[in-house]
Amino acid sequence: MSDLLRAPAELKYAAELDWLESVDDGPKPFSWRLSPKMVRLFVLGSERADGLDREVDQKWFGDRSIVERAIVTLASDRGLLLIGDPGTGKSWLAELLAAAICRNSTQVVQGTAGTTEDHIKYSWNVSMVIAKGQSRESMIPSPIMTAMEAGTVGRFEELTRSTSDVQDALISILSEKYISVPELTGEEGIVFAKPGFSVIATANSRDRGVNDLSSALKRRFNFVRIPVVTNRKSEAEIVRYRTEELLRRHQIELEVPPTLLDVLLQSFADLRASAAAAGSDDEKLESALSTAEQIGVLEDAVLHSNFFGQKALNAHTLASSLVGSLARREPEDLAILNKYLHGVVEPRSKEEGGDWPEFLAGGREAIANLS
Amino acid sequence: MSPHQPPVFDPLRAQLQEAAQAFADGPDALAELLLGLVDDVDRAVREPLEIFPVCHHSPASATAMARRLREKQPKVVYLELCEDLAPLLTELRNCRLPVALQAFAGEVDGFPAEWAPLSVVAPITEASAEYQAIAYALETPGVELVLVDRSSDHVFQWEPRPAAGELPEDEESALHGDAVGVELGDLRPRFAELEQYLLHHGKVRHWSEWWHQYVELSLGDADHDTYRQVMLLIGSLFRRLAPGDVRRTRVDEDRERYMWTRMRAHLAATGTDPADCLYVCGAFHAASRVAEFGVHGSDTFEIGERTVTAWRYGLIPSSHAAIEAQFALAAGSVSIAASVWAKNLKRTGVQPFRLAGQAGSAKATRTAKTTRTTKKSITTALPPALPGPAASAAPAPVLPPADRLTGFLQRPPVLDALDEAELLTWSVDIVRAARRAGYLASTADAIAVFETSILLAGMRDRARPTPYDFQDAAVTCIEKDAVPGRRDVGRLVEIMMGGDRIGQVGYESLPPLARDVHDRLAPLGLNLQQRGVKRALLDLTGQPQLNACSDALWILRQLLPDGAARPIMGERELGRRSLQESWDLALGTHQRALIELGYEGVSIEQVLEQRLRRAAHGPQATAAVALAAVEDALRLLGSRRLADELGTRALYLLANERSVDGAPEVLGRIRRLLAHYRTSEPVLPGWIESFVKTGYAHYCTLLPIAFADDQATVRQLAAMLGFLFSMESLALSLGCDRTQLELAVAQSHPQEPDRTALLWAAQVQLGTLSRTELRERCDALLANPLVLPAYPRYLSGLVQALEPVPGLTGFVVEAVSNAFARLPDAVLLPWLPTLITTLRAGGAELAPLLTREAGRIFPGKLGALDAWTPPWLAESAPAPVRPRRTSSGIGTDQGSALLAAHPASCDALAALLGCEGVWQQPAAAGLALPARYPETAEALASLLLVG
Repeated sequence: MSDLLRAPAELKYAAELDWLESVDDGPKPFSWRLSPKMVRLFVLGSERADGLDREVDQKWFGDRSIVERAIVTLASDRGLLLIGDPGTGKSWLAELLAAAICRNSTQVVQGTAGTTEDHIKYSWNVSMVIAKGQSRESMIPSPIMTAMEAGTVGRFEELTRSTSDVQDALISILSEKYISVPELTGEEGIVFAKPGFSVIATANSRDRGVNDLSSALKRRFNFVRIPVVTNRKSEAEIVRYRTEELLRRHQIELEVPPTLLDVLLQSFADLRASAAAAGSDDEKLESALSTAEQIGVLEDAVLHSNFFGQKALNAHTLASSLVGSLARREPEDLAILNKYLHGVVEPRSKEEGGDWPEFLAGGREAIANLS
Repeated sequence: MSPHQPPVFDPLRAQLQEAAQAFADGPDALAELLLGLVDDVDRAVREPLEIFPVCHHSPASATAMARRLREKQPKVVYLELCEDLAPLLTELRNCRLPVALQAFAGEVDGFPAEWAPLSVVAPITEASAEYQAIAYALETPGVELVLVDRSSDHVFQWEPRPAAGELPEDEESALHGDAVGVELGDLRPRFAELEQYLLHHGKVRHWSEWWHQYVELSLGDADHDTYRQVMLLIGSLFRRLAPGDVRRTRVDEDRERYMWTRMRAHLAATGTDPADCLYVCGAFHAASRVAEFGVHGSDTFEIGERTVTAWRYGLIPSSHAAIEAQFALAAGSVSIAASVWAKNLKRTGVQPFRLAGQAGSAKATRTAKTTRTTKKSITTALPPALPGPAASAAPAPVLPPADRLTGFLQRPPVLDALDEAELLTWSVDIVRAARRAGYLASTADAIAVFETSILLAGMRDRARPTPYDFQDAAVTCIEKDAVPGRRDVGRLVEIMMGGDRIGQVGYESLPPLARDVHDRLAPLGLNLQQRGVKRALLDLTGQPQLNACSDALWILRQLLPDGAARPIMGERELGRRSLQESWDLALGTHQRALIELGYEGVSIEQVLEQRLRRAAHGPQATAAVALAAVEDALRLLGSRRLADELGTRALYLLANERSVDGAPEVLGRIRRLLAHYRTSEPVLPGWIESFVKTGYAHYCTLLPIAFADDQATVRQLAAMLGFLFSMESLALSLGCDRTQLELAVAQSHPQEPDRTALLWAAQVQLGTLSRTELRERCDALLANPLVLPAYPRYLSGLVQALEPVPGLTGFVVEAVSNAFARLPDAVLLPWLPTLITTLRAGGAELAPLLTREAGRIFPGKLGALDAWTPPWLAESAPAPVRPRRTSSGIGTDQGSALLAAHPASCDALAALLGCEGVWQQPAAAGLALPARYPETAEALASLLLVG
């Protein structure tokens, strides 16, 4: 595990999953490795009231009913489509669910403009076809097809980025639950899905209108909308959790002072409020200001302080990485950040003091460097 | 605890003591708490006056109440509701529930003035225990219903009014306005953490859901003792686990003291046996520990006096959504409670009590049918039942209440079995509703919803999906990335589960004013009690009897909020009435507003009169406000008496005004009023004459100051001049002196260009400045490059001058044309928007004046434009020839010709004055001219000579 840059969830939490499987006595649908209640417990963490001997960490932060709805969808015969703004944890939830249900979260198709039907169904190993002819052996199954054969969960990331014809290839997979291979005959010419097969797709709500889903495909998916976390407490929890994980991964010994975390959360809350009040797109930052973005800012600041700073995170670095991460368009984003620093941070640094004056100085310097 | 009764709860006590020791390492706070709970229950159970603990919007409470009432048939029912609301209860018969009992005080005395108006509402729904108690007491002869809680006045005395919160935007949720809500049986954890804890571990989202799953279900079919003991236990638990909010605890305890004091007083006064009584209160109050608790409690509490504030009482319509919004319940919870109640009735066969004649929805009427038979059974049961209550109640106090708690606490939670048929109906219905709302839902979705509901309920440890589980399932399966219509799936489920029910106050229970309004609008032939917008068409010439309706509608439009009565066609101005009118009426929707109007008076005319008077006499009143009131009095009430009274007030206000802020409005209104009186009355009323006189003197005095004052706008100055010039003839006839105006104008020395231009216009009107001079001045401005940039501001002043001096329109057109012709673009273009905005803001009067005049001056066709010379340029040649009019206006040819033709009058006048004169033959007009202007004649002569 340690020699992987980023281990998939099923490897990372392998011990926990093993243990959960051993204590799970609930009914399991199809070939699921865990019962739905245990899957929920794995994702949302355990409580004292669950009466388990071992504490299970919370891995995804959000409304309990979202997770329940997602799990229940997977137990039904519909696909699950997680839809939400970028950075709301859709892919992470998909990965956790796949890991908990079938211990394999890596059967992933990444939807892009270049994704073809072959990526979803199958393709051929050309040299092998030339040498031996078309057979199951010379066929390269797609991750979705592999999932069908194994009766596990296949994942489709960014479904709306792929073109409509590719999307529509999913329709028959989701309704008939088989893929026919016209090149082969007999039993080999058709691949049936085993019980337990399901698809978790994710879609970015900001991409709406790029490649809209057809109504036929929509019907075959249950949509679960993941909202942007606006609850201060759970957001702080997420940022802390993910940052700790990150530091562990980079093997960095660095303390993130809670006051700085507050500064970060507050500044994002302010920027979100201003984005909500903005009249046009020019008046709001291009960034979705999601929780993932916050983690990105903090990660950037931590890495910067670790390698170029005094091995301690300060407000100055945090401000410059905030400006650096959020200023994507010149001059619109810079103007908004400048306005924020002058209109909100400056009065606050005078009133409250603390880390804010340093944050203000750092932000100003970063803006001066960029413009 | 009475010592002679066996200790019923001792085994439970012992058990809890052991548990506390096991969990908390020794006797400590936990043991105290647990035993305290049992003590509370024990105490309440042993009370000779039977306490019936309830929870609001709990169908289980309502069912248990109905059952208990039938069984015990108490003679007196004490109810935890504001005692002063009692007279309203009988009126409930005429209403469709939910309605709210309201106490309202428009004017406060004894409370801070800013609290006004004070309003308390107590909503009553059908699926509530209190309604059962009320219906039983009112429908059963010989049963007395006594409300024992503190009065509405005490509500505000004890609980400081919180800062006015924001009203919910949604119309249904705002039915209660900003009233303070009081409710029977408020039972909820008093601190957020406990509630959170319960919700979290109950795996539910809302308090209502928790209550349903863990209390309602368990108590659904429980017997009376179990129900009572469990409710008391819950009340006691929430009471003991409340945080130390001293003020709130004090109010709660004071209420309990109040109620017990009242009950004891009533028992003593009537000599009723406590065993024949039932005390219905929230479980929270049932577990009280105050010294005054119980029939044998101490009488130490002194009930405070009410303030002298006059309270008015009435019923207002309420709705499930309004109740949910007011008491912070989950959306849809009251509706769900109502449907659970209906279902419980069917399942358990309990016969509910119902007020005779109660109007209700289709579902309710169905219940009503059963109730009618029920009623019969009551009436048949009653005569023998009269000795009956004693017979059935007699053994009750003898039997010690058995311990039902131990068994209940040891039992696993009751799981409701899956009702497949019900879930199937829901699934099919929601898909149908979704399709109607624009979703692409199909039978496959119904199957998916059904399956998902069961799976979700399973994940949440229940066999039967709650409405909330079902809602989640429906959202998961049907909701896609966008909502196609107005409502999303969540809302559709809420509607399907019973939807919002909006109550209605019946005609008989309306205040006299509202009844009167409905009576007067009856000729329209519309059902105005119904919610929704009704279109009324009034042909006032064809059906003159509708004139009375029209009058009432115009008054209602003034008094009610927007939308209650909205004219689509037709207007009512001073001296102008429409022959046909059409109205959009929504009196049913705005029933609360109409009822609250009823608190102000007995007829709409009276209320309007009061309001007009209040507006004119208010601390912020100005002359303009008072004149507006006069106009309304004439327009809507046709009341000369009130108009005169308000007019006199306007006169007083004007005389005391020191600013000219209201001048434009005063001018507009007094003009309209004058026009009205001149056409409709033989003589002007005294006040308006005095108003003109005072106004003339007032504005003359203020004119020089206003011209120099930066605060006064040009528009206000123009309005002052407008008043002075247009009222001049009337004012002079009433004895004002024109010199005053001339002096005022002469004393005015404005600095600003626009004011200067306005002053010039005034001087032209007064005759001290001629048009030619004015033209020269304007030309000079245009010729001088130093003042050229300020020229537009002069023009703005001239445009404003159209108001007081409309005769100057031609000149203003000329000046504007000159500006367009001669001003450089750099000056002209920035000014154009200002011109347009001035014309817009100046009102509709100025722009048409200018355009009409311009249309007259400029050629109508493009072709004619080439050959066209502006009249002011063409005029320059003949202008000097025209004989100059002297300001006195005498000596014109026509005048002298007349004199010569009729010399008698002149001679008589001369004789009277003692002048002796000789008649001269008037020289021909033409002859005088060459003498005065010899140059022309000479030039002509030389020309002729040359020829």
